[in-house]
Amino acid sequence: MNGRKTPVDYNMMIKKASIFLLFVQLAFMAMPPVVVASEEGEDFDALHHSANAYYLDFSPFPKVELPRIFVVQYEDGSYGLELFRSTTSAIRNGHYTVEVLHEESGADSTATESHSTATELGAATTDETLDDDAAIPLSELEGHLLAPAGGHIVLDLSISRHLFFAWLSMGIVLFIMIRLAGMYKRGIGRDTAPRGLFQNLFETLIMFVRDDIARPNLGDKSDKYLPYLLTAFFFILTSNLLGLMPFGATATSNLMVTVVLACFTFVITQLGGTKDYWMHIFWPPGIPTFVKPILMPVELLGIFTKPIALAIRLFANMTAGHLVILSLIGLIFSFANLFGSGAGFGVAPVSVAFALFVYLLELLVSFIQAYVFTMLSALFISMAIQEHHHDHDEAHHESSEHPAAHA
Amino acid sequence: MIVFAANLLAPDAGLIFWIAITFGALLFLLKKFAWGPITSALSTREETIHESLAQAEKALAEAKQLQADNTKDRREAEAQAQAIIREAREEAERLRTEEVDKTRTQIQHLQESAQAEIEREKDNALTSLRQEVADLAIRAAEKILRENLDADRQKKIVDNFLGDLSKN
Repeated sequence: MNGRKTPVDYNMMIKKASIFLLFVQLAFMAMPPVVVASEEGEDFDALHHSANAYYLDFSPFPKVELPRIFVVQYEDGSYGLELFRSTTSAIRNGHYTVEVLHEESGADSTATESHSTATELGAATTDETLDDDAAIPLSELEGHLLAPAGGHIVLDLSISRHLFFAWLSMGIVLFIMIRLAGMYKRGIGRDTAPRGLFQNLFETLIMFVRDDIARPNLGDKSDKYLPYLLTAFFFILTSNLLGLMPFGATATSNLMVTVVLACFTFVITQLGGTKDYWMHIFWPPGIPTFVKPILMPVELLGIFTKPIALAIRLFANMTAGHLVILSLIGLIFSFANLFGSGAGFGVAPVSVAFALFVYLLELLVSFIQAYVFTMLSALFISMAIQEHHHDHDEAHHESSEHPAAHA
Repeated sequence: MIVFAANLLAPDAGLIFWIAITFGALLFLLKKFAWGPITSALSTREETIHESLAQAEKALAEAKQLQADNTKDRREAEAQAQAIIREAREEAERLRTEEVDKTRTQIQHLQESAQAEIEREKDNALTSLRQEVADLAIRAAEKILRENLDADRQKKIVDNFLGDLSKN
């Protein structure tokens, strides 16, 4: 009894914690980017560690810039694809300029003001770089790039940090699963017992997704949707865990990534929708006719809120933990600035202990969120593919039985 | 001071594009090269285990049945053997008793015939003895009489003698 009850309690606790973390994170997002000036005068931006960027951060080792790919519309209206080895290269060789936002200027005025400053700064940078090979300050690499005069970037296909880590986790999943499949093809695990830690570990996870997520929700149709559920589960899990690695980034803490994942669930759900499913949305049975037009938009909205909730849940959970860790570490410097370095040293052990706790919590959350996303995807799909047997069916049965009774 | 912090919620069409394509590709590749073989292998193994268990159960039931049959057969065989032994013993006993009875009657017969033979032989012997004695007496008397008496007197004496003899 206790053994069964504890995970539920944990779940509740995690949910409560993640709601709390979500609030913390929303507070962060509502504010203009949090800048903590450290003693050296460098800016410490709690958000930019979680946010996307176009380089890999190996600090204290040098950063590795990632390739930039742009679909550009030129001055004459033609389109072109431009590739650069790095952002620095794009600025130096492609005459791209950095979009600059002034801190002093309000959020509303930044858009209009950015262009003028960007051209100024861009001109300055290109002039400088033409003269000497000095590296472009990293702070400039984090801004959005603007195409050279006259053109504009239609689509920025650059390999960003989050994309890099998403691909890394895809590569890891692909490598692991194809190796695992190779073992099964050779007969290990098919004709014999599974062998070794590698196979046992991943088989347990696969069996978990199949037996505890797919089958209870989807029943005999689980085989059709199992590949998607497994892919989503392992991709999310690997991405989440990569974010906990040193120098790593969490691809799933990017809303774009989670939105795409949710879109997959959305499309699969709608494609699997049965007649009953659409009937329940557009003409809900078992309620008075005059209520049906009111319910219809609500039901229609419900189709979209489910995947949106999926995307935001995963994004918020994966972002929140990182932000809390960064904030806890940031506390050390805030205290040092406010009350002197002694206070900073005094707070450090507490901050580090809490950060460690949150880190462990994140480890747990990584698994839980992968589970929750997959579980809810399976649930939504099962709701769409179900053949309902509700009042309207009973009414139908009754009407069909009546003639029989009369006869 | 210039801040370049990227917004967490900023839309990024390029990232959406890449992730959609690559996640789709991942789904396809895994479905084809990983999930297919893995799930089929797992279900094959499950079926094999299921079948093996069913077979083992069946085999166990068969073995139990066989054992029960064997036990029954052995009991029957034992019972049969007991019955045969008992019968044989009875038969032997009967034969023995019969034989003994037969022998006893034979012995009786032999005894009886021997008795009769003895009786007869005794009678014969007595008769021949008597004649022999009579002849001897006659011859002896003849000799005496030839010596002393006439024939009549001698005859009278012999008869007396014979009369005495038969009395004995």
